[in-house]
Amino acid sequence: MSGEEEENAAELKIGDEFLKAKCLMNCEVSLILEHKYEQLQQVSEDPMNQVSQVIEKSLQYVKRFSRYKNPDAVRQVREYHLSFHRILSRHQFTEFELCVLGNLCLETAKEAVAMVPSLKTKGSAHSNKATENILNDLSLVKRFE
Amino acid sequence: MNVASETEVRGEREKRPEMFFHIVLERNMQLHPRFFGQNLRENLVSKLIKDVEGTISGRHGFVLAVTGIESVGKGLIRDGTPFVTFPVKYRCVVFRPFEGEVLEAVVTRVVQHGLFAEAGPLKIFVSNHCIPDDMEYQTGDMPNYTKSDGSVRIQKDCEVRLKIFGFSIDATEISCVGSIKERFLGLITDPGAVA
Repeated sequence: MSGEEEENAAELKIGDEFLKAKCLMNCEVSLILEHKYEQLQQVSEDPMNQVSQVIEKSLQYVKRFSRYKNPDAVRQVREYHLSFHRILSRHQFTEFELCVLGNLCLETAKEAVAMVPSLKTKGSAHSNKATENILNDLSLVKRFE
Repeated sequence: MNVASETEVRGEREKRPEMFFHIVLERNMQLHPRFFGQNLRENLVSKLIKDVEGTISGRHGFVLAVTGIESVGKGLIRDGTPFVTFPVKYRCVVFRPFEGEVLEAVVTRVVQHGLFAEAGPLKIFVSNHCIPDDMEYQTGDMPNYTKSDGSVRIQKDCEVRLKIFGFSIDATEISCVGSIKERFLGLITDPGAVA
């Protein structure tokens, strides 16, 4: 499709609507889809028949790859993003970057920078430490959920 | 702006957007007069959900779930038919890959020229040119790719972290091409660790 050739995550050319839109992590999506699935279960006995294959596969996928299993942990991570956003606004972590960090459950700052190179550009030593802090805190949430 | 095709050359401005988005979409819903009445809005919403969930939009990828209705505009009667068109704005979760995105997927098939993986409804193909050179294809009951020193083996049902290079959207599915040749990509042995 001709429109897609212009798009590139590397250049962040993904269309205005996506830039402004809210990113969801796998765990949040799994909550939404599971809720939907429960609603369907109340209506009929065999909800799997009703939902299309796309939704079924998506549900399996997010369940398998969601890092934080219980809703409180998910809320903590999301709020954590917001508070970090306020406190470290000078570092200007975008929602995208935090979502990637949350989703991929990275361990070291080195890995994080490889996956999200933009972290490197925001002032070297500063961000490294900040990134390490974020990663530590995210893994704490996971451990104590 | 040129599209960077070499991974090494990717600019420092690179950011990886996530593939699940919560966005507002608009759609013109046509409703037959038999649905008018007290339950007009409910009928509209359930028709919207039935029409839109699980489908693919060229621009937005897979539409997974409608989470809420923002607004329903005034209905316009279409000339010559009894149908009424309502513009409906709704919030939904969409799932769309982006070029340069890193995500995790499950391997579904291993063949000589590469491997097939799925991330939910998304199908991804990783050609053997995009698999590290020290990994070789091993045929057999469970065809797999094994590292030359035997430490890493990727086979069906393994979880891998890969990077998307390109994708095409058609009416029924989105298929992508990916790579595991870069640093920190490849087999995931347990949550948080990459082999």
